[in-house]
Amino acid sequence: MQLILDKLKLRYSRRNTEIVKWKDNTGGKVIGCLPMYFPEEFVHAAGLLPVTLFGDNGPIAHANRHLMTNACGAVRGTFEDLLLGKYDALDGVAAVLICDQVRFFFQVWSLDHEFGFFHQMWRPFNIDQSSRPFLLNELKRLKSALEEFTGNAITPGKLCGSIRLFNETRSLMRALNDIRKTRPGLLKASDLVKAIAAGMIMPKEEYNSILKELITQTRDSDYESGEKPKVMVCGHPCGMPEEEILDLIEEMGAVIVGDDFFTGSRYFSVDVPCSGDPVEAYADFLLNLIPCTTYHYPQNWIGQDRSLSTYGDYVADYVRENGIQGVILLREMYCDPFDLEFVMLKRKLEERNIAHITLNTGHEAGSLETQRTRIQGYLEMLSC
Amino acid sequence: MIVAGVDIGSQTSKAVVLKGDNIYRSALFPTGTDLYAVARKVVENAAQGIGHTFDDIQRIVATGYGRVSVPFAADTMSEITCNAVGAYHFYPDARVIVDIGGQDSKAIKLNDEGKVVNFAMNDKCAAGTGRFLEVAAETLGVSVAELAALSRKSGNRIRISSTCTVFAQTEIVSLIARRTPQEDIAAGLHESIVSRVYGLVNSIGPGDTGRVVMTGGVARNDAIVSLLANAMKREITVPEDPQIVTAFGAALVARSRLGSE
Ligand code: SF4
Repeated sequence: MQLILDKLKLRYSRRNTEIVKWKDNTGGKVIGCLPMYFPEEFVHAAGLLPVTLFGDNGPIAHANRHLMTNACGAVRGTFEDLLLGKYDALDGVAAVLICDQVRFFFQVWSLDHEFGFFHQMWRPFNIDQSSRPFLLNELKRLKSALEEFTGNAITPGKLCGSIRLFNETRSLMRALNDIRKTRPGLLKASDLVKAIAAGMIMPKEEYNSILKELITQTRDSDYESGEKPKVMVCGHPCGMPEEEILDLIEEMGAVIVGDDFFTGSRYFSVDVPCSGDPVEAYADFLLNLIPCTTYHYPQNWIGQDRSLSTYGDYVADYVRENGIQGVILLREMYCDPFDLEFVMLKRKLEERNIAHITLNTGHEAGSLETQRTRIQGYLEMLSC
Repeated sequence: MIVAGVDIGSQTSKAVVLKGDNIYRSALFPTGTDLYAVARKVVENAAQGIGHTFDDIQRIVATGYGRVSVPFAADTMSEITCNAVGAYHFYPDARVIVDIGGQDSKAIKLNDEGKVVNFAMNDKCAAGTGRFLEVAAETLGVSVAELAALSRKSGNRIRISSTCTVFAQTEIVSLIARRTPQEDIAAGLHESIVSRVYGLVNSIGPGDTGRVVMTGGVARNDAIVSLLANAMKREITVPEDPQIVTAFGAALVARSRLGSE
C-alpha cells in the first residue's frame, strides 16, 4: 500500500517533468488547467491531456514582483512556476474564473506568456435560475474553442466516454476516501491529498488502474482501531494543503476523517450524470457540486428557514453525520471567497456547538511551532 | 508524591516542583539555546528549594514552546491547557485568562469546570508580546520597568501606528528624532500592545462574567494591566507570581496523571 502511495506522491512531486515525459512518449498535447472545477472531460474528449496546475508551496522569489501583496498562495505559486518556466511544455492553459483573483491574474498570464491555447471560462458566483443557461453557453464556447484548436470534433459519444472515465476516477477516489472513514488513521491525510492530486495530473486511464490496486491493498492491510479524536479539515480552497500541517494534526493524536479540499472531497464527491445530452449534463454537474466558498445560493438567504451559509450547513452536517468531534479550518491567507464566508461558517459551527480552530496557512503564514501549540491545545480541548 | 511542571518559553524557562498538596517551589532561568540543559537546571533548582533532588521527582510534564526538547518529561502538554489548569487552580472563578509571554500572547476562555472552551494566540510576529516591549525599551534606552513608569507620566499619548515590532522600532526612532517626549512614546507603545491583546481577547468571545486573570511576564507591568482592564471594562487579577502559572498547571497535570496510574 505505502509503495503505491509513494509512487503516486512521486508522480505528483515530478508533475511538471512528467508532462514532458508524457509528450515525448505519446506525441500528444497537454492543457494546464488552473484550479478549480475546470471541465477536464472536454479537454480529454478533444484528444488532449488535461493536467491541473498546482503551484509550489515554497518561497516566492519572482512572482511577487508582478503581483499585489494580497494575492493568495494558489495564485502566487502557479504564477511563480510560470515565471520559472515550469509550464513551458504546456500547449495551452485554461481556467474557470472562480474568483476575482483568478479572473485578474489569469489575464496577466496571457500578457506574460504566449500559449497556443488560452481559454477563460466564466462561471456565476450566485447560483440561481440564470446560472444553467449561462453555464451551458460557456461549456459550448469551451467545446468550440477546443475543437478549433485541435481540429477534432467533440462528439456526444466522445464526451460521454470521457465523462464515464472521469466518473470512474471519482468513484475510485470516493472508495479510497471511504476507507479512511471506516478505518481512521490507516491512510495519512497528507498521503491521501497527494494520491488524489496525482489523479489530476496523470492520464486517468493509467491512474484508475493504479488506484484500483491501491484500494485492494488498503482494504487488505492490517489495521488497529484506536480511540483518537476524529476531525474534519476544511478550507484552503484551491491548492495543495500544507503537508506539514496535516501531518502535525495527525502526529498530535487526531485522525482526519473528512475534508473539503479541492484535492479531496470537492473533486470527487459528485459524478457527472451519464444520460441525455452530455453538455447539459455537465452544466447540471457544475451546479450540483458540494457547497464551496466560491459559490453562493441566494435562494437560501430568504424565507423562514433561511441560511446565510450553505457551505457552513454542509460542514456542520458532515461533522454530525460522520461522528466527527471537531473542525480545523485552514484559512488560506488572502483568499477572499473563504474570508467572506469565514465569519458565517464560524457562527454556524458555534450555533451547532461544534468545536473548531482556525489555522492561517499559505506562503509566509507563520512558524510551524506556533501551529503545533495551537493544534495540541485544540486537541487537548477536544479530549478533555 | 513529588511531581514537576517545566515550561520552556522563548525567553525564560520556569519550573514548579510540587510536593503533596500544598508545598511547592519554583525556579526561573533565561532559556538560552540549550533547551535540554536549561530544562534540567530549572527543575533541579526548584527541587532543591524543597530539599529534594531531580531524581526524587516521580513525574514531569513539559510545556511551552520547548516542550518537545525535554526528554525526561513523561508527557508534553500545550501551554494553553497548562495555563488554564494553573490559573483555575488559583482562581476557580477564572473564566478568561490573558497570558502575555516573551514572544506570544494568548487569550483563553474557560467554562465553570475550568475546561478550555476557546482560545486564540497571536499571529506570526512578536507584536503584542513581551518582546515588543523589550525592543521598544532598548530603542528608547530604558529598562522595561522604566518604560511602564514613564508611560504613567504621559499627558499626551502618541499613537504608534505600527503593530509590527520591527516597524514600530523604526517609528520610535523617528519619534525620538522629532523630539517627542519619551513618556508619550512609552504610553503609545503600551496602548499599541494593549489594543493588539484586546483584539485577541475579543476574538474568543470573553463574555462578561467571571474573573479575568492575567499571567505571563508582562502581567508584572501594571500599566499594561490597567490599560487592558480599561479596554475590557473588567477588573483583572494578577497572581502573585504570574510567570509560573503555566509551569504550575503542568505540575498539576503531572500529579493527576501520576495519581491515575
Ligand atoms: S478561491 Fe481563494 S485560494 Fe482559490 S484562487 Fe481564489 S482567492 Fe485563491
